[in-house]
Amino acid sequence: MKNWYKYLSVLLMIYVIIAGFLIPLKPGIQSFSPSKITIDPDKSSYLKIKTYNTHFQDAQQNKVWLKLPNDQLLRDEKVTILSQNELEVSFYIPSTLPDFNPQQDALTLIVENEIDGYTFYPDAVRVNDVSGLMTNRNEYHDISKINQVESFKFPYRHILHETIRNTFFHVAIWFAMFILLIYSCYHSLVYLRSKSLVSDKKSASATTVALVFGIAGILTGSMWAKYTWGTFWTTDIKLNMSATAMLVYCAYWFLRASVSDIDTRARLSAVYNLFSFVTLMILVMVIPRFTDSLHPGNGGNPALGGEDLDNTLRAVFYPAIIGYTLIGFWISNIYFRYLTLKEKVELI
Amino acid sequence: MKPNLFLTLSLFFLLTESILAQGGADDFMRSTGKIYSVVAVVLILFLVIVVFLFRLDSKINKLEKQIHNE
Repeated sequence: MKNWYKYLSVLLMIYVIIAGFLIPLKPGIQSFSPSKITIDPDKSSYLKIKTYNTHFQDAQQNKVWLKLPNDQLLRDEKVTILSQNELEVSFYIPSTLPDFNPQQDALTLIVENEIDGYTFYPDAVRVNDVSGLMTNRNEYHDISKINQVESFKFPYRHILHETIRNTFFHVAIWFAMFILLIYSCYHSLVYLRSKSLVSDKKSASATTVALVFGIAGILTGSMWAKYTWGTFWTTDIKLNMSATAMLVYCAYWFLRASVSDIDTRARLSAVYNLFSFVTLMILVMVIPRFTDSLHPGNGGNPALGGEDLDNTLRAVFYPAIIGYTLIGFWISNIYFRYLTLKEKVELI
Repeated sequence: MKPNLFLTLSLFFLLTESILAQGGADDFMRSTGKIYSVVAVVLILFLVIVVFLFRLDSKINKLEKQIHNE
Protein backbone atom coordinates (compact mmCIF):
# COMPACT_ATOMS: atom_id res chain seq x y z
CA MET A 1 0.00 0.00 0.00
CA LYS A 2 1.50 3.25 -1.18
CA ASN A 3 -0.35 5.64 1.12
CA TRP A 4 0.04 3.68 4.35
CA TYR A 5 1.67 6.52 6.23
CA LYS A 6 -1.22 8.87 5.48
CA TYR A 7 -3.75 6.45 6.96
CA LEU A 8 -1.44 5.80 9.89
CA SER A 9 -1.05 9.53 10.59
CA VAL A 10 -4.82 10.03 10.61
CA LEU A 11 -5.32 7.04 12.93
CA LEU A 12 -2.60 8.27 15.28
CA MET A 13 -4.06 11.78 15.41
CA ILE A 14 -7.53 10.42 16.17
CA TYR A 15 -5.99 8.34 18.97
CA VAL A 16 -4.03 11.33 20.30
CA ILE A 17 -7.08 13.63 20.39
CA ILE A 18 -9.38 11.03 21.96
CA ALA A 19 -6.90 9.66 24.51
CA GLY A 20 -5.35 13.08 25.13
CA PHE A 21 -8.67 14.60 26.07
CA LEU A 22 -10.52 11.70 27.69
CA ILE A 23 -7.97 10.11 30.04
CA PRO A 24 -8.69 11.83 33.35
CA LEU A 25 -6.23 13.60 35.60
CA LYS A 26 -5.08 12.09 38.90
CA PRO A 27 -6.57 13.75 41.97
CA GLY A 28 -4.61 16.62 43.46
CA ILE A 29 -4.69 19.14 46.29
CA GLN A 30 -5.52 22.58 44.90
CA SER A 31 -5.38 24.69 48.04
CA PHE A 32 -5.69 24.58 51.80
CA SER A 33 -6.10 27.09 54.58
CA PRO A 34 -4.64 28.19 56.89
CA SER A 35 -1.10 27.63 55.63
CA LYS A 36 0.33 27.78 59.15
CA ILE A 37 -1.16 25.82 62.02
CA THR A 38 -0.98 27.29 65.46
CA ILE A 39 -0.59 24.49 67.94
CA ASP A 40 -2.63 24.71 71.07
CA PRO A 41 -1.91 21.84 73.44
CA ASP A 42 -5.51 21.69 74.56
CA LYS A 43 -7.32 22.07 71.25
CA SER A 44 -7.33 20.49 67.82
CA SER A 45 -6.09 22.36 64.76
CA TYR A 46 -8.36 22.74 61.74
CA LEU A 47 -7.53 22.69 58.04
CA LYS A 48 -9.84 23.28 55.09
CA ILE A 49 -8.68 21.48 51.94
CA LYS A 50 -9.79 21.98 48.34
CA THR A 51 -8.90 19.24 45.90
CA TYR A 52 -9.33 18.40 42.22
CA ASN A 53 -10.84 15.23 40.72
CA THR A 54 -11.47 13.50 44.07
CA HIS A 55 -14.56 11.58 45.18
CA PHE A 56 -14.89 12.27 48.91
CA GLN A 57 -18.64 11.70 49.04
CA ASP A 58 -18.46 8.36 47.21
CA ALA A 59 -15.53 7.06 49.23
CA GLN A 60 -15.99 5.38 52.58
CA GLN A 61 -12.60 5.90 54.17
CA ASN A 62 -11.31 9.41 53.68
CA LYS A 63 -8.09 9.92 55.59
CA VAL A 64 -5.80 12.91 55.88
CA TRP A 65 -2.20 12.57 57.03
CA LEU A 66 0.60 14.94 57.90
CA LYS A 67 4.01 13.54 56.99
CA LEU A 68 7.06 14.42 59.07
CA PRO A 69 10.50 14.75 57.46
CA ASN A 70 11.44 11.36 58.96
CA ASP A 71 8.58 9.69 57.02
CA GLN A 72 6.38 9.15 60.06
CA LEU A 73 2.72 10.06 59.75
CA LEU A 74 0.26 11.89 61.93
CA ARG A 75 -3.33 10.88 61.36
CA ASP A 76 -6.36 13.19 61.32
CA GLU A 77 -8.69 13.35 64.27
CA LYS A 78 -11.88 13.95 62.34
CA VAL A 79 -12.68 14.45 58.66
CA THR A 80 -15.79 16.41 57.66
CA ILE A 81 -16.78 16.05 54.02
CA LEU A 82 -18.16 19.27 52.51
CA SER A 83 -18.39 18.18 48.87
CA GLN A 84 -16.69 15.80 46.43
CA ASN A 85 -13.70 18.12 46.32
CA GLU A 86 -13.78 19.85 49.68
CA LEU A 87 -13.22 18.67 53.20
CA GLU A 88 -12.44 20.00 56.61
CA VAL A 89 -10.06 18.14 58.86
CA SER A 90 -8.92 18.46 62.43
CA PHE A 91 -5.53 17.39 63.73
CA TYR A 92 -4.12 16.92 67.12
CA ILE A 93 -0.49 17.91 66.73
CA PRO A 94 1.90 17.12 69.57
CA SER A 95 4.08 20.05 70.60
CA THR A 96 7.34 18.19 70.20
CA LEU A 97 7.65 16.49 66.83
CA PRO A 98 10.60 14.12 66.35
CA ASP A 99 13.43 15.38 64.09
CA PHE A 100 11.45 18.48 63.31
CA ASN A 101 12.67 22.06 63.29
CA PRO A 102 9.68 24.48 63.16
CA GLN A 103 11.87 27.22 61.72
CA GLN A 104 12.93 25.20 58.66
CA ASP A 105 10.71 22.20 58.18
CA ALA A 106 7.12 21.89 57.04
CA LEU A 107 4.72 18.98 57.10
CA THR A 108 3.60 17.30 53.89
CA LEU A 109 -0.16 17.07 53.53
CA ILE A 110 -1.52 13.73 52.26
CA VAL A 111 -5.16 13.04 51.41
CA GLU A 112 -6.24 9.50 50.62
CA ASN A 113 -9.27 7.30 50.16
CA GLU A 114 -9.97 3.91 48.61
CA ILE A 115 -11.30 5.31 45.30
CA ASP A 116 -8.75 7.95 44.37
CA GLY A 117 -5.68 6.57 46.12
CA TYR A 118 -3.43 9.16 47.70
CA THR A 119 -2.37 12.63 46.68
CA PHE A 120 0.02 14.95 48.46
CA TYR A 121 1.15 18.56 48.73
CA PRO A 122 4.84 18.65 49.69
CA ASP A 123 6.00 20.92 52.53
CA ALA A 124 2.54 22.35 52.95
CA VAL A 125 1.82 22.99 56.59
CA ARG A 126 4.04 24.97 58.94
CA VAL A 127 3.58 24.91 62.69
CA ASN A 128 4.55 27.45 65.32
CA ASP A 129 7.36 26.78 67.73
CA VAL A 130 5.92 25.56 71.02
CA SER A 131 8.75 23.45 72.35
CA GLY A 132 8.51 23.35 76.08
CA LEU A 133 4.80 22.62 76.23
CA MET A 134 4.29 18.97 77.04
CA THR A 135 1.61 16.82 75.51
CA ASN A 136 1.17 13.13 76.00
CA ARG A 137 -0.75 11.94 72.92
CA ASN A 138 2.03 11.06 70.50
CA GLU A 139 0.80 8.49 68.06
CA TYR A 140 2.70 8.02 64.81
CA HIS A 141 2.01 5.77 61.87
CA ASP A 142 4.30 4.23 59.32
CA ILE A 143 4.27 5.53 55.75
CA SER A 144 3.39 2.06 54.45
CA LYS A 145 -0.14 2.54 55.81
CA ILE A 146 -1.05 4.75 52.87
CA ASN A 147 -3.48 3.28 50.40
CA GLN A 148 -2.22 3.00 46.81
CA VAL A 149 -4.69 2.75 43.96
CA GLU A 150 -3.34 1.85 40.53
CA SER A 151 -5.00 3.76 37.72
CA PHE A 152 -4.16 4.95 34.22
CA LYS A 153 -4.39 8.70 34.69
CA PHE A 154 -2.30 11.71 33.79
CA PRO A 155 -0.33 13.25 36.66
CA TYR A 156 -1.71 16.27 38.48
CA ARG A 157 0.70 19.21 38.64
CA HIS A 158 0.27 22.51 40.43
CA ILE A 159 -0.48 25.48 38.14
CA LEU A 160 -0.58 23.16 35.10
CA HIS A 161 -3.76 21.23 35.99
CA GLU A 162 -5.44 20.08 32.75
CA THR A 163 -2.97 21.97 30.58
CA ILE A 164 -0.53 19.07 31.04
CA ARG A 165 -2.40 17.72 27.99
CA ASN A 166 -0.68 20.42 25.91
CA THR A 167 2.35 18.10 25.98
CA PHE A 168 0.69 16.20 23.12
CA PHE A 169 0.09 19.32 21.07
CA HIS A 170 2.77 21.89 21.87
CA VAL A 171 5.77 19.70 22.74
CA ALA A 172 5.03 17.01 20.14
CA ILE A 173 4.82 19.56 17.30
CA TRP A 174 8.36 20.76 18.15
CA PHE A 175 9.65 17.18 18.09
CA ALA A 176 7.98 16.63 14.71
CA MET A 177 9.64 19.83 13.48
CA PHE A 178 13.06 18.51 14.49
CA ILE A 179 12.49 15.20 12.69
CA LEU A 180 11.41 17.03 9.52
CA LEU A 181 14.48 19.29 9.71
CA ILE A 182 16.81 16.30 10.07
CA TYR A 183 15.18 14.79 6.97
CA SER A 184 15.64 18.11 5.18
CA CYS A 185 19.31 18.29 6.15
CA TYR A 186 19.84 14.77 4.85
CA HIS A 187 18.48 15.83 1.45
CA SER A 188 20.60 18.99 1.47
CA LEU A 189 23.67 16.78 1.91
CA VAL A 190 22.46 14.48 -0.87
CA TYR A 191 22.02 17.51 -3.13
CA LEU A 192 25.53 18.79 -2.40
CA ARG A 193 26.99 15.38 -3.31
CA SER A 194 24.85 14.46 -6.32
CA LYS A 195 23.53 17.85 -7.57
CA SER A 196 20.13 16.25 -8.05
CA LEU A 197 17.37 18.87 -8.09
CA VAL A 198 14.87 16.35 -6.73
CA SER A 199 16.78 16.32 -3.43
CA ASP A 200 16.82 20.11 -3.39
CA LYS A 201 13.04 20.23 -3.73
CA LYS A 202 12.56 17.54 -1.08
CA SER A 203 14.76 19.45 1.30
CA ALA A 204 13.00 22.76 0.59
CA SER A 205 9.52 21.31 1.08
CA ALA A 206 10.46 19.58 4.36
CA THR A 207 12.00 22.81 5.69
CA THR A 208 8.91 24.80 4.71
CA VAL A 209 6.56 22.44 6.56
CA ALA A 210 8.93 22.30 9.53
CA LEU A 211 8.89 26.10 9.73
CA VAL A 212 5.08 26.08 9.70
CA PHE A 213 5.22 23.58 12.58
CA GLY A 214 7.70 25.84 14.36
CA ILE A 215 5.38 28.84 14.02
CA ALA A 216 2.55 26.68 15.37
CA GLY A 217 4.85 25.63 18.22
CA ILE A 218 5.61 29.23 19.19
CA LEU A 219 1.94 30.29 19.01
CA THR A 220 0.63 27.31 20.98
CA GLY A 221 3.40 27.83 23.51
CA SER A 222 2.34 31.45 23.84
CA MET A 223 -1.25 30.39 24.53
CA TRP A 224 -0.09 27.82 27.10
CA ALA A 225 2.15 30.39 28.78
CA LYS A 226 -0.78 32.79 29.18
CA TYR A 227 -2.65 30.34 31.42
CA THR A 228 0.30 28.96 33.38
CA TRP A 229 2.99 31.64 33.55
CA GLY A 230 0.59 34.59 33.26
CA THR A 231 1.59 36.32 30.03
CA PHE A 232 1.68 35.50 26.34
CA TRP A 233 5.40 36.16 26.17
CA THR A 234 7.97 35.98 28.95
CA THR A 235 11.69 36.68 28.86
CA ASP A 236 12.31 32.96 29.24
CA ILE A 237 15.50 31.97 27.43
CA LYS A 238 13.95 29.14 25.44
CA LEU A 239 11.18 31.37 24.08
CA ASN A 240 13.53 34.03 22.80
CA MET A 241 16.05 31.54 21.44
CA SER A 242 13.43 29.56 19.53
CA ALA A 243 11.99 32.79 18.12
CA THR A 244 15.51 33.71 16.95
CA ALA A 245 15.90 30.29 15.39
CA MET A 246 12.61 30.77 13.54
CA LEU A 247 13.92 34.08 12.16
CA VAL A 248 17.07 32.32 10.95
CA TYR A 249 14.84 29.85 9.12
CA CYS A 250 12.66 32.66 7.73
CA ALA A 251 15.80 33.94 6.01
CA TYR A 252 15.90 30.55 4.23
CA TRP A 253 12.53 31.34 2.62
CA PHE A 254 13.73 34.78 1.53
CA LEU A 255 16.97 33.32 0.19
CA ARG A 256 15.08 30.86 -1.99
CA ALA A 257 12.70 33.56 -3.20
CA SER A 258 15.46 36.00 -4.09
CA VAL A 259 17.69 33.80 -6.30
CA SER A 260 16.22 33.10 -9.74
CA ASP A 261 18.85 30.74 -11.17
CA ILE A 262 17.80 27.20 -10.28
CA ASP A 263 21.25 25.69 -9.66
CA THR A 264 22.59 28.64 -7.67
CA ARG A 265 19.40 28.68 -5.60
CA ALA A 266 19.69 24.96 -4.86
CA ARG A 267 23.35 25.18 -3.88
CA LEU A 268 22.98 28.28 -1.70
CA SER A 269 19.87 27.01 0.06
CA ALA A 270 21.42 23.58 0.76
CA VAL A 271 24.39 25.21 2.46
CA TYR A 272 22.23 27.72 4.30
CA ASN A 273 19.87 24.94 5.41
CA LEU A 274 22.75 23.03 7.02
CA PHE A 275 24.00 26.23 8.64
CA SER A 276 20.60 27.13 10.10
CA PHE A 277 20.07 23.62 11.46
CA VAL A 278 23.32 23.89 13.40
CA THR A 279 22.24 27.35 14.61
CA LEU A 280 18.88 25.97 15.70
CA MET A 281 20.55 23.18 17.67
CA ILE A 282 22.79 25.67 19.47
CA LEU A 283 20.01 28.16 20.14
CA VAL A 284 17.31 25.76 21.30
CA MET A 285 19.16 22.73 22.64
CA VAL A 286 22.40 24.12 24.05
CA ILE A 287 22.03 27.71 25.29
CA PRO A 288 18.86 27.18 27.42
CA ARG A 289 20.74 24.54 29.43
CA PHE A 290 23.26 27.06 30.70
CA THR A 291 20.70 29.30 32.36
CA ASP A 292 17.48 28.89 34.24
CA SER A 293 14.35 28.42 32.23
CA LEU A 294 10.68 28.03 32.98
CA HIS A 295 10.62 25.08 30.61
CA PRO A 296 11.07 21.76 32.37
CA GLY A 297 14.35 20.00 31.73
CA ASN A 298 16.44 23.12 31.22
CA GLY A 299 19.15 24.71 33.30
CA GLY A 300 20.69 21.31 33.83
CA ASN A 301 21.48 18.23 31.87
CA PRO A 302 18.25 16.34 31.46
CA ALA A 303 17.40 13.37 29.35
CA LEU A 304 13.93 12.90 27.99
CA GLY A 305 11.89 12.14 31.04
CA GLY A 306 12.28 12.45 34.75
CA GLU A 307 9.29 13.35 36.81
CA ASP A 308 7.56 15.54 34.25
CA LEU A 309 6.93 12.86 31.67
CA ASP A 310 5.55 9.69 33.22
CA ASN A 311 4.47 6.53 31.43
CA THR A 312 0.84 7.56 31.05
CA LEU A 313 1.89 10.73 29.25
CA ARG A 314 4.37 8.78 27.11
CA ALA A 315 1.57 6.48 25.91
CA VAL A 316 0.03 9.46 24.13
CA PHE A 317 3.10 11.66 23.65
CA TYR A 318 5.13 9.29 21.45
CA PRO A 319 2.20 8.44 19.12
CA ALA A 320 1.57 12.20 18.87
CA ILE A 321 5.17 12.81 17.70
CA ILE A 322 4.88 10.05 15.08
CA GLY A 323 1.46 11.34 13.99
CA TYR A 324 2.61 14.93 13.48
CA THR A 325 5.77 13.77 11.73
CA LEU A 326 3.79 11.66 9.25
CA ILE A 327 1.34 14.51 8.63
CA GLY A 328 4.38 16.73 8.10
CA PHE A 329 5.78 14.30 5.51
CA TRP A 330 2.37 14.18 3.85
CA ILE A 331 2.12 17.97 3.53
CA SER A 332 5.75 18.24 2.46
CA ASN A 333 5.04 15.65 -0.23
CA ILE A 334 2.23 17.86 -1.57
CA TYR A 335 4.55 20.86 -1.41
CA PHE A 336 7.23 18.85 -3.25
CA ARG A 337 4.77 18.10 -6.07
CA TYR A 338 3.88 21.80 -6.22
CA LEU A 339 7.57 22.73 -6.53
CA THR A 340 8.06 20.13 -9.27
CA LEU A 341 5.14 21.53 -11.23
CA LYS A 342 6.37 25.08 -10.75
CA GLU A 343 9.82 24.17 -12.06
CA LYS A 344 8.29 22.66 -15.18
CA VAL A 345 6.22 25.80 -15.80
CA GLU A 346 9.30 27.99 -15.31
CA LEU A 347 11.34 25.94 -17.77
CA ILE A 348 8.74 26.20 -20.55
CA MET B 1 -9.13 35.31 -1.06
CA LYS B 2 -5.91 34.23 0.61
CA PRO B 3 -6.35 33.67 4.33
CA ASN B 4 -3.85 35.72 6.27
CA LEU B 5 -2.19 33.81 9.09
CA PHE B 6 -1.33 36.93 11.04
CA LEU B 7 -4.88 38.34 10.81
CA THR B 8 -6.57 35.03 11.69
CA LEU B 9 -4.42 34.45 14.74
CA SER B 10 -4.48 38.00 16.08
CA LEU B 11 -8.28 37.84 15.89
CA PHE B 12 -8.19 34.51 17.73
CA PHE B 13 -5.86 35.79 20.46
CA LEU B 14 -7.95 38.97 20.86
CA LEU B 15 -11.11 36.88 21.16
CA THR B 16 -9.72 34.59 23.86
CA GLU B 17 -8.17 37.50 25.73
CA SER B 18 -11.03 40.00 25.66
CA ILE B 19 -14.22 37.95 25.57
CA LEU B 20 -13.44 34.60 27.15
CA ALA B 21 -10.76 35.49 29.68
CA GLN B 22 -12.40 38.32 31.56
CA GLY B 23 -11.90 38.64 35.26
CA GLY B 24 -9.62 36.84 37.64
CA ALA B 25 -9.09 33.21 38.49
CA ASP B 26 -12.61 31.99 37.72
CA ASP B 27 -13.06 33.06 34.10
CA PHE B 28 -14.10 30.73 31.30
CA MET B 29 -10.58 29.92 30.07
CA ARG B 30 -9.46 28.95 33.57
CA SER B 31 -12.57 26.97 34.52
CA THR B 32 -12.50 23.16 34.92
CA GLY B 33 -8.77 23.00 35.50
CA LYS B 34 -7.91 25.31 32.53
CA ILE B 35 -9.12 22.70 30.01
CA TYR B 36 -10.29 25.42 27.58
CA SER B 37 -6.74 26.69 27.18
CA VAL B 38 -5.89 23.20 25.88
CA VAL B 39 -8.81 23.54 23.44
CA ALA B 40 -7.39 26.92 22.37
CA VAL B 41 -3.96 25.34 21.79
CA VAL B 42 -5.48 22.60 19.61
CA LEU B 43 -7.45 25.22 17.64
CA ILE B 44 -4.32 27.31 17.02
CA LEU B 45 -2.46 24.24 15.77
CA PHE B 46 -5.37 23.40 13.46
CA LEU B 47 -5.68 26.99 12.20
CA VAL B 48 -1.96 27.31 11.40
CA ILE B 49 -1.94 24.09 9.38
CA VAL B 50 -5.23 24.92 7.62
CA VAL B 51 -4.08 28.44 6.68
CA PHE B 52 -0.88 26.95 5.25
CA LEU B 53 -2.91 24.41 3.22
CA PHE B 54 -5.21 27.17 1.90
CA ARG B 55 -2.24 29.18 0.70
CA LEU B 56 -0.66 26.12 -0.93
CA ASP B 57 -4.00 25.44 -2.59
CA SER B 58 -4.20 28.94 -4.06
CA LYS B 59 -0.59 28.68 -5.30
CA ILE B 60 -1.44 25.44 -7.14
CA ASN B 61 -4.57 27.11 -8.59
CA LYS B 62 -2.39 29.86 -10.03
CA LEU B 63 -0.06 27.30 -11.61
CA GLU B 64 -3.01 25.44 -13.13
CA LYS B 65 -4.30 28.66 -14.71
CA GLN B 66 -0.83 29.35 -16.11
CA ILE B 67 -0.67 25.86 -17.64
CA HIS B 68 -4.16 26.17 -19.15
CA ASN B 69 -3.31 29.50 -20.75
CA GLU B 70 -0.22 28.17 -22.49
